[in-house]
Amino acid sequence: MNAAVQSKASRVTGFRSKLLVAIMVIVSTITALGLYFADRNLTATVASDLQRQFQGELAALHHAQEIRYAALVERCRALVRKPRIHAALEDGALELLYPSAEDELRDILQRPGDTPAERAASALHAEFYRFLDRTGALIPAGKTRAAGALPPDEEARLSLTGAPGKQQIGYLRHKAAPLAGAVSEIIAMPIISTETGEVIAALVLGFKPFELGGGAATLGMKSGVWVDGQLDVAGLSPAASTALAAEIAHDRSGPADAERRQRAVIEGAHHEVFYKRLNPESVFPPAYEVCLYPLAGLREQQRELRWQVVGAGVLFLLGGLVASHFVAGRLSDPVEKLAVDSEENRAQRERAEAALELSHGELQRSARFSADASHQLKTPVTVLRAGLEELLARENLSPEECHQLSALIHQTFRLSSLIEDLLLLSRMDAGRMKLEIAPVDLSQLLEAALDDLDVLPDELDLRIETAFPRALHIAGEKRYTAIILQNLLENARKYNQRGGLIRITARAEGADVLLSVGNTGRPIPPAARAHIFERFHRGAIGENVPGYGLGLNLARQLASLHGGDLRLARSEENWTEFEVRFRLATAPAVAAPVSA
Amino acid sequence: MTLSCVPFRPVVIAVGLMGALAAGFAAEQTVEGRVAITRNRTAPVVNQRYEVVAKGGVLRTDPPLAVVYLEGVFAASRPPAVMQMTQKDLTFIPTLLPVQVGTKVEFPNLDDAYHNIFSYSTPKRFDLGRYRSDEKPVPAQVFDAPGLVTLRCDIHEHMRALILVLNTPHFMVTDAQGQFRLTGLPTGRYVLKAWIDSKTTHEKSIELNSGATLRVDFP
Repeated sequence: MNAAVQSKASRVTGFRSKLLVAIMVIVSTITALGLYFADRNLTATVASDLQRQFQGELAALHHAQEIRYAALVERCRALVRKPRIHAALEDGALELLYPSAEDELRDILQRPGDTPAERAASALHAEFYRFLDRTGALIPAGKTRAAGALPPDEEARLSLTGAPGKQQIGYLRHKAAPLAGAVSEIIAMPIISTETGEVIAALVLGFKPFELGGGAATLGMKSGVWVDGQLDVAGLSPAASTALAAEIAHDRSGPADAERRQRAVIEGAHHEVFYKRLNPESVFPPAYEVCLYPLAGLREQQRELRWQVVGAGVLFLLGGLVASHFVAGRLSDPVEKLAVDSEENRAQRERAEAALELSHGELQRSARFSADASHQLKTPVTVLRAGLEELLARENLSPEECHQLSALIHQTFRLSSLIEDLLLLSRMDAGRMKLEIAPVDLSQLLEAALDDLDVLPDELDLRIETAFPRALHIAGEKRYTAIILQNLLENARKYNQRGGLIRITARAEGADVLLSVGNTGRPIPPAARAHIFERFHRGAIGENVPGYGLGLNLARQLASLHGGDLRLARSEENWTEFEVRFRLATAPAVAAPVSA
Repeated sequence: MTLSCVPFRPVVIAVGLMGALAAGFAAEQTVEGRVAITRNRTAPVVNQRYEVVAKGGVLRTDPPLAVVYLEGVFAASRPPAVMQMTQKDLTFIPTLLPVQVGTKVEFPNLDDAYHNIFSYSTPKRFDLGRYRSDEKPVPAQVFDAPGLVTLRCDIHEHMRALILVLNTPHFMVTDAQGQFRLTGLPTGRYVLKAWIDSKTTHEKSIELNSGATLRVDFP
């Protein structure tokens, strides 16, 4: 049994570890899924963040450009109102145009004396300016130094096929000193006559391009302008720039103002490349703002983030383990308890069964002993009685001696009667008692019992009343039914009072027959009523009444064997009445035997 | 339309005020006619303020006026009289002033405001600077090259006037209907020209016979 409990315990432990593993698997799966989606989400978020940043930078750029345009539009309106500019343009004095404009444009232009720092501080200052005539041809600046020096071929690229009707943006890559390598943003503004609304000329201004804002610097962003198939990105080797420029030149098909995005390997590192045309719808050659976001730092960041996520996942996993341990423990506790309880239950049951078997055996043995003992006792009593009767038959006995012998003989009868009762009880206790059930004429048995009662010496002067029909049959065995009647009648006689009454009634009631035996006398105290059917119980009132307290017990057990019962119907005010219930039988029908 | 062109025959052309001052010999020859001036607006001109307009690089007055002059070789004459281009009520008066080469033109300022007359035109570039009505002597320029000079005021951007410098003493501005009458012209073969705008000058060769009055209409 101990081994069984131990195996049970090990099974409970197994259950607990299985539960733990299951919870761990679930937690790990959730963590892994969380990691996967977090990583994917992270990548997508980073890409869209970059794009948004690029768009933000471009928007800021365009905003700055618009402010500049607005200022320039105003300037051109003012210019054209100036009589000298008008005079220069309309009165055939183009050589006077630049000197006349010099004054007007003074505050837009970089002063030759500006330090580089001052130049950098003011992106609104133009590096050079030129005029185009109404046909779009360049009006040479001549010797006007304020217009800014430009090599002739670069100057030539400013001319257009006609004076533009609205502002145009272009980009010019300088190949020669003083701006070699730099890119200028060119804004061509029409000069519109205030008199006639005609475009009479155009002003072309060259600016240093706006640089993308500082927010990008944190990500190591590089930017540059692609124009004329060339790209110049600060901090990028010429070879890489050329390769990227070629890639963009190859790739820039599609709608002019669409924003494009691609991944490129530049100088061995992965970059996210965004580019967008800076001058959609311009008559100048197309130019693109190109932004390079190195993914290395980003990947580093991503890796860091991933580690953080993994760390969080591991913590979560650990937490999950601890939690699952507790959960598994709490879940398996009741199971374990249940298992242990059932084990204990089984042990208890086995013990109880063993005890029952034991007591059953003991009972059998004691019943057998009781039966044997009764048999062994009957013989000496019979021998004793025979001897006493022989002595009583002698003639030389004095009356005194006769009386004593009669009393002794009477005692032997009582003794054998007691032995009979014990024998009967022990047979019933052993469960071997079996009635031969047959219809019994209760009326006849009652009459016989009353006859016997009459024979007994009547010191109490009792009256007997009877009320029962003739030939009332019950199911039973005649000798045992008679014992019930004898015991009840004897009881009614013994506990009666002088001049008292015994009333016997019997009647059929449905399938039953009710027999009641009542007698006058002191009632049974309520406290004693529960015990009157116990073996060897004798009431306080029966202290001076002969008997062994077996009668009612025997009668009740026999009544049960008859398929009925015996109960105390009432006991009050000088009247005690017992009631027996038998099963009605129709004479001479044969009832089936009933086993006890 | 094309008349015989004989450059060296004397022709007499009378020019408004100056006609009487022409050469000493017979000055009876006269050319009269009408220049067809295209009007922008059909509505009658109510005010007589003329403006110079430039459209497509073409300068003319509005309402249109034409200058009719006779080109050729003339005997040396007295130096031309001093002319005036006044500024009054922020406009030039007259709007269109033909002068003979070598004419000195004064620019009196009759306004209370400053004016700054200048010209970027090739025949005569000058800049009078800012001056007021009390400027003495009255600022003046001598126009010694033929051609069209656009006058502007650097202060008042709308102010514009034209001085047509001609290499002839015989010229006049038509009236609003384009009518002209040149008197006191010498005899001979000349070219009669009608300046309509900076890009358009009609011309006809004419021969002026003694005492003749020629009728010439420009289309």
